[in-house]
Amino acid sequence: MIRKTNKFVLAVCVLFASIIASTSFAQTIKIGVDGPFTGGSSSMGVSMRDGVRLAAKEINAAGGVLGKKLELIERDDEAKNERGVEIAQELINKEKIVAVVGFINTGVALASHRFYQDAKIPVINNVATGTALTKGPSFPFKDAKDVFVFRTSARDEIQSPMIVNEAITVRGFKKVAILADSTNYGQLGQADLIKALAAKNITPVTTEKFNVGDTDMTAQVLKAKSAGAEAILTYAIGPELAQIANAMAKVGWKVPLIGSWTLSMANFIDSAGKNGEGAIMPQTFIQAPTTPKRKAFIEAYLKEFKPKNDRIDSPVSAAQGYDSVYLLAAAIKQANSLEGDKIRLALEDLKTPVVGVVKTYNKPFTKDDHDAITDKDPVMGIVKNARVVAAKGQK
Amino acid sequence: MDIFVQLIYSGIALGMIYAVVAFGYQLTFSTSATLNFGQGEALMLGSMVGLTLSNLGINYWLIIPLVCVFGFLQGTVVEYLGVRPAIKIKSEFGWIMSTIALGIIFRNFAENIWGRSTFRFPGPFEDDPIKLFGANILPMEILVVLGAVSMMLLVEIFNRKSIYGKAVVATANDRDAAGLMGINTGLVITFSYALSSLTASFAGVLISPLTLAGSGAGGALGLKAFAVAIVGGLSSGLGIVVGGIILGVSETLTGFYVSTGYKDVPSLIILLIVLSFKPAGLFGKTTIKKV
Repeated sequence: MIRKTNKFVLAVCVLFASIIASTSFAQTIKIGVDGPFTGGSSSMGVSMRDGVRLAAKEINAAGGVLGKKLELIERDDEAKNERGVEIAQELINKEKIVAVVGFINTGVALASHRFYQDAKIPVINNVATGTALTKGPSFPFKDAKDVFVFRTSARDEIQSPMIVNEAITVRGFKKVAILADSTNYGQLGQADLIKALAAKNITPVTTEKFNVGDTDMTAQVLKAKSAGAEAILTYAIGPELAQIANAMAKVGWKVPLIGSWTLSMANFIDSAGKNGEGAIMPQTFIQAPTTPKRKAFIEAYLKEFKPKNDRIDSPVSAAQGYDSVYLLAAAIKQANSLEGDKIRLALEDLKTPVVGVVKTYNKPFTKDDHDAITDKDPVMGIVKNARVVAAKGQK
Repeated sequence: MDIFVQLIYSGIALGMIYAVVAFGYQLTFSTSATLNFGQGEALMLGSMVGLTLSNLGINYWLIIPLVCVFGFLQGTVVEYLGVRPAIKIKSEFGWIMSTIALGIIFRNFAENIWGRSTFRFPGPFEDDPIKLFGANILPMEILVVLGAVSMMLLVEIFNRKSIYGKAVVATANDRDAAGLMGINTGLVITFSYALSSLTASFAGVLISPLTLAGSGAGGALGLKAFAVAIVGGLSSGLGIVVGGIILGVSETLTGFYVSTGYKDVPSLIILLIVLSFKPAGLFGKTTIKKV
């Protein structure tokens, strides 16, 4: 009998203890981090995560936010849409996160955002570039009263005109070929490119596609060559881009490769080797200490994570990931609350500028515009000696 | 004309890549009438092990024999775990599931060890192409063609000239009769699996400088190679080479002259035609099964 009472008391104690631990005495602010940390997009995912880790560490060292430390709950979505959905449910219902940062793949982001939107948890999308994530006719929350999705990456709508501008206006090419992969990313990007070319009264001399995993691009490259293309515009990811560069070298044909920002991926630069030299792409951040903030960021990143050859695998992802945490922290501080709706309101009306790596964010978001990056922010980068540097004529 | 020659070169190089993988299917089918559906994964393991050795600073030419040893052992494991139990209980289809399952297990292991990225595999030559009859070809592509052909010749010579090879051929012709003649047919089948994984591993090291290496590389190649094996005929070494070249060339020609969006279609149409008119493959021997 006595033993039974003891057990009951113990159970009650445990119950209370767990309630106390989970609610009233929460010492940390839980931030979800979702990205592909393995697989073909992992160079972006891991760099993003490291940027996020670095920002959180700095903020915590300076005393945290509202007197509490940031706690990162990191999950690997493996670039799979269904994993993104599982993670969203886990982060919302089990981990009870305050906000989430991350998302590399547009498909995963589209599948997951819905859950955070419904739970009124702010999302800062820091790498995925699909226009539909925040804007446009296929934006899923365009009729919602309040939107909880924000973005610190350059959406495709911005990138395509930049690519076209570089090829047609800056370099004066008249004939360009488009090579894009058969995924959503490649095909939507290809449509954006054709639209941007049409605005300059140019039709591509040929438009070719290929599958992810294809190992021989000779046919595509030869078609572009025999159509008389003066440049190749690309929308694809690292390994296949490398195969394009290698096929061009094989057929002994060298024209500029100009494409979306994925041409800065480490697995393109490394796999293509010297054939990838000279590839040009829009970048929100280039690993160069051009501002004091950038210098400090690069030094801290290299010291903390020691990447191979002192080269950040995906500098863009690292910088955008880093900035997303600072923007979030500023919003939580201004809201003086951990409530999703109040953080959203604060993000839409940030009173104090946030000094970031990509830029200084001066009122980055409004109620109607959830994109922090405008068409003025990215610059063109070029692959030189296996690194991305600023292209000539860039600030 | 230059373009046509260029496309033919690329098609042959691509076809030989398929053929070296397909050759492994042929080796096991001829002795035990079973296939290793993890052939693509055996190739992937070979290339990843090769890449690891290469990162340790070992010379490309030295990597090849080391990887062959690895492949030989890997094939033995597949046969012991996946195929032997199925043959023992005379299961018609057990080996299909078990070789697929082993393939998935190997892929998962590779993903955990090497991650899921693709890597550059440093080849023994510079990447600069050579000019040959008005079109360019990479030294590595020539090596793939030579390597594939010499590998098949070696296996043929082994089968025809050596006593062990004769045991393999005898088992291939009639397993029961060979058993009665005192040939350890179980050992021969194990050996054929070891040999098939050896060729796959060798193929992995051979083609990776062209295709890039990665733990996901096995799937697509394994499937294409299977189509090659069916078109060429599972019982003919020559058929595999011809089948590979047919598929490779049809892919590059269609990609250029029709559309890159349809480049895989003709090879699959050829597969369907061959299956309806000559189910044993272009060079396969039709076996008559008496019931």
